[in-house]
Amino acid sequence: MQNTNIYLPHIAKVVEIKEETQDVKSFRFEFVELKLRENFTWKAGQFLILSIFGVGEAVFTFANPQTRKEFVECSIRKVGLVTEAIHELEVGDTVGIRGPYGNWFPFEEFGSKNLLFVAGGIGIAALRSSIEYSMDTRNDYGKITILYGARSPMDICYKDKIVEWQNSDNVEVALTVDRGNDEWKHRVGLIPTILKEMNPAAENTVAIICGPPIMIKFTLKALSELGFTNDNIVTTLEMKMKCGLGKCGRCNIGNIYVCKDGPVFSYEQIEGLPDEY
Amino acid sequence: MQYTINNLKVLIDELIKNYLVYSPKRVNKTTTLYGSIASFSEYDSEVLLTNTTAKGLIYSQSERLFDIKKRADAVGLIEEDMVKKTIIFGCRPCDARGFSLLDTLFDWDNYRDEYYFRKRDNTAVISISCGQPETTCFCTSFKDGGPDSTVGSDLLLTLIKDIYLVDVVTDKGKKIVEDYQSYFYQTTEDIAEKNENRMPEKINMGVIKQRLDDSFESPYWDTVHLPCLKCGVCTFVCPTCYCFDITEKEFDYTCGERNRTWDTCMSEIFTRMAGGANPRLDPKRRFRQRMMHKFKYHVDNFNEELCTGCGRCIKYCPAGVDVRKVLEEVK
Repeated sequence: MQNTNIYLPHIAKVVEIKEETQDVKSFRFEFVELKLRENFTWKAGQFLILSIFGVGEAVFTFANPQTRKEFVECSIRKVGLVTEAIHELEVGDTVGIRGPYGNWFPFEEFGSKNLLFVAGGIGIAALRSSIEYSMDTRNDYGKITILYGARSPMDICYKDKIVEWQNSDNVEVALTVDRGNDEWKHRVGLIPTILKEMNPAAENTVAIICGPPIMIKFTLKALSELGFTNDNIVTTLEMKMKCGLGKCGRCNIGNIYVCKDGPVFSYEQIEGLPDEY
Repeated sequence: MQYTINNLKVLIDELIKNYLVYSPKRVNKTTTLYGSIASFSEYDSEVLLTNTTAKGLIYSQSERLFDIKKRADAVGLIEEDMVKKTIIFGCRPCDARGFSLLDTLFDWDNYRDEYYFRKRDNTAVISISCGQPETTCFCTSFKDGGPDSTVGSDLLLTLIKDIYLVDVVTDKGKKIVEDYQSYFYQTTEDIAEKNENRMPEKINMGVIKQRLDDSFESPYWDTVHLPCLKCGVCTFVCPTCYCFDITEKEFDYTCGERNRTWDTCMSEIFTRMAGGANPRLDPKRRFRQRMMHKFKYHVDNFNEELCTGCGRCIKYCPAGVDVRKVLEEVK
């Protein structure tokens, strides 16, 4: 799916925008070129680079899985220059997309295991594609447990999706926020703490994590304490990226590049990396 | 087959008729940079090392990736692919070897950078072996390095008395010899001579790599970086530093361009993410990153150092940081 020019994005249009929270919107994009709409595919965990022409590029994960690929969907939090411009987009506007880049969650290695998804903040966007992928290929897996933590009840994304997940067979969803309010009926507390309270069985289970670096560090520790072995924990790592191709030189952690060797790593791999992420 | 050139001036003047020729060119008393020359007389043959490297002639300091033209309902991306047949003449083996290192990086892991190779493929590098080294030179520390190294060059010329001995390194070089055969003389005599006096100092890269393997957490980095101002001049004058930024320029609401520009790992914003998190906020980490990248990570990935020993980073560092000393004292 690559152009011969690796920096040239494919042109796409915004076809749908959904406001998730005060600072997160979900965008559906459709390629202008008909062939691409059919042929463009990816694997849950991979990422794309989105162009807002005149402003610049930024990296996002696919929020929808390859099993639901009628659109390319990204859920984007407003945090910087490019994401601010993205939040200004309207239906019909033109963007550029290049990718898919990076590796993916190795579902092919999970076999019939139980899956424990742990998402912090906007990390839920990356895990949504994996959650939906595992539901679409349901026969392959055991129990699915989802722990999703956000700053506050106002910051919970995918409210209708969550209801859908809760109503699926053999799926458990736990929600937590750092600070609750009167209407909040779920848990309050940081993810690692809640995870220990939930005490999920480590046996025959793979933990799949995505979130901010600090959450990941403590979640890895908590999972180890719960008896998860390093090869049964996979997480994403985040670094600043520009090219996505292993060339621009800034997303390295030691001799690996998050853009091409990641963004998905097992805890086993991470333990061999210098502490610089 | 060996060749000699008896009159370099007429050859270069002839090449200028058909190629865009760059060579070291004196800008003022203290500065010699690569520039395009209209005649051999503009070539500065005196200076051993230009102030900046030949890198920018192929991997531009800033280049347009494409133009952006917005219409009412669409965006057009227009690429430019006019590249002139070019010769880099008077390149030093360290700068030429820099190209060979960049070749690997720009065609790595299934992604080939056409912007780089468009120019690289259309450029012939005619290098000249070095005479007396500068005190900052350490090219012989590397497996393929040295004042006579042919790596990265298409032709290598070595001045012996007053004729140039020609090493034909690549097919591109061979083509020049064939096209301009009246300027090249075949010789069967072995006139090559090695002058040991012009060998620069060596540092032991093998030992350094072993020490770097275990030094990431070493307190050595806490202090060794302190004189460094993180100004980035070392990366700017380096023939192998390749990190870049991709930026956007918008001229008005309908026209713009996307550019690729050299960047530096010494800069705080290099790894700063949207939202502010930065794994290399601490200047110590940035200093360590540069050393580790060149002399450990790159060796782990490609089995050679990302350095040609040109010594410019030592020469131009405003704080007197000497990469050789930093490496030799790693603990």
